[in-house]
Amino acid sequence: MGSNKRISKNKLKGNKLKKSILLTALLGILAAGCSSTDLKESQPLNPPQPELQSMLSDDNEGTAFTSPDLNLLELRGNPLLAKDKRGIYFDFNKYVVKQEYMEVVQAHAKYLNESPAANMKIQGNTDYRGSHEYNLSLGQKRAVAVKEALNSFGVDDSQIETISYGKEYANLDCVEQNSCGEDRRAEVVYIVE
Amino acid sequence: MKKFVYLIFAGLLFFSSSILHALEVIEILGGKASQIPIAVMPFKNFGAQNNIAKINSVIKSDLGRSGLFYALDTRGVTTTPNSDKEINFSLWKTLEAQFLIIGRVDFIQEEKMKVSWSLIDIYKQQTILSGEYVGKKNQIRAIGHKVSDKVYERLTGSKGVFHTKIAFVEKYNHQKYKLNIADYDGYNVISLLDSKMPIISPRWSPDGEKIAYVSFEKEKPVIYIQEIATGKRKLLANFKGNNSAPAWSPDGKRLAIVLTYSTNSQIYLINADGSDVTRLIRSRSITTEPTWSPDGDEIYYTSNQGGGPQIYKFNLESSEISRVTFEGKYNLYPSLSYDGKLLLYLTQDQGKFKVALQNLQSNQVLKLTKGPLDEAPVFSPNGHMVLFVYKDYGKTTKIGTVSINGLKIESLPLGSRQVQEPAWGPIKE
Repeated sequence: MGSNKRISKNKLKGNKLKKSILLTALLGILAAGCSSTDLKESQPLNPPQPELQSMLSDDNEGTAFTSPDLNLLELRGNPLLAKDKRGIYFDFNKYVVKQEYMEVVQAHAKYLNESPAANMKIQGNTDYRGSHEYNLSLGQKRAVAVKEALNSFGVDDSQIETISYGKEYANLDCVEQNSCGEDRRAEVVYIVE
Repeated sequence: MKKFVYLIFAGLLFFSSSILHALEVIEILGGKASQIPIAVMPFKNFGAQNNIAKINSVIKSDLGRSGLFYALDTRGVTTTPNSDKEINFSLWKTLEAQFLIIGRVDFIQEEKMKVSWSLIDIYKQQTILSGEYVGKKNQIRAIGHKVSDKVYERLTGSKGVFHTKIAFVEKYNHQKYKLNIADYDGYNVISLLDSKMPIISPRWSPDGEKIAYVSFEKEKPVIYIQEIATGKRKLLANFKGNNSAPAWSPDGKRLAIVLTYSTNSQIYLINADGSDVTRLIRSRSITTEPTWSPDGDEIYYTSNQGGGPQIYKFNLESSEISRVTFEGKYNLYPSLSYDGKLLLYLTQDQGKFKVALQNLQSNQVLKLTKGPLDEAPVFSPNGHMVLFVYKDYGKTTKIGTVSINGLKIESLPLGSRQVQEPAWGPIKE
């Protein structure tokens, strides 16, 4: 998404944080609403929200947000919670969380249980095939399946929000590229990290 | 004459939704024998500076798209008759034409023109329908569609859909979206909405004045209803969780919608003004893609209660649920014909996604398209044609039409646009 790059270019200082900022900026853009209007009054992209701004201008481990209730050091330090492990992948038309992801899910549950101020979004996605609406429901089922796995480790619903993008961000050419599995995932994102 | 009677008879059988017959028709795929051969001559031009030749190509294209007509190549015919009195009927019989359309365009003033046309029955050797339309130069396509509608109704007994509108979503610059409307054949595209977030599930109100759709602009799917003429819109549903899959009741007073709250997709009813939300079906499974039967008594929908997605129906009076699709393991996206006798849906067949047509009386299923990645089939308001999305390997998504006899499949001229989820507007008089 080009708009992420724009923000990161202007604000980014440290390379180390680049990846997390990109993700956070993505969230910020989603949060900013991107409201549709009549064609004539097409609106510019909303500026990042204040929290995001201060986050972005803060490259020393995000001290502004380091409260004991958030446990950011744990979130950033535990390899099981690392960003490249945030995708939980599913089989075609399925929404069962596979056993291989349980260790990661359990680690997130432990983190959430120990960090009452932390809030998580679970975004469900599907591959391109099938209809938009069914896939929206399927993505929702995947997000809820991950939530329920977290619930089973004692996490309260109040810390989790489930949303679905269905097939809206799926790769149109996944069949040709034999990569549809990459789109069949629930992604775990923290509201502040 | 005998042949013609047979064809009309075949047509009647087909439109009474005999899939058995449709299968027979399909077997002569590519054959012209099951289509009515018609010649559409270039309209004569009186006093026009502009090229009005396209009026006959509009008519040819309309009739051809329906799958019921075969537009003859008339390039070898050098003299265009002015009326049925000037017609060399034996010539047209040799060309195997059963009907002939002729016409003329007279320019009244600079901007206005009069289009006169006649439909001639070659076997009866007489004009069976004629008409006149006055319009502006830029209405030439609209007038052509009107002629096609008249001819279609006269020869098939069903209303034509050639002056109807469609809506579709266009994705551009990777992650931007437009909600567009256009003529049924893809011409005259107008954008109703531009958004940086996905738009899905556009649905015309039964009166054709409004479109309900789902937008992700509030970080999640919510449902809007937008007036086409004014561009004004209002939020219909923005409840906790996902709000999606709007389906207008036939009287336009209510919609079936899908809400998740904090769990999975369930079907609810809501008044068109946003009041009175009630849950229709309680299920642990996905229930989505509601669509009303034309009599308003039943709601067809997709559910995965048996594992893979299948189409079910819910009777609003008895609350009885029954399964509708049985062939294959993956059937979804139901769309009903105007008479409620035929059901369209997307099916997975040997790894390919195809448009399926099911006769709801015999439950016979016909695959209308070959895939590999088709989706989102919807009926034309007269039930004779289908709009659907297709994608060839390595290419972007396109919208096509396919006639329900399977004889004519054609793409809409939308260029390189990446398009999704067409919706076909109603016939407006």
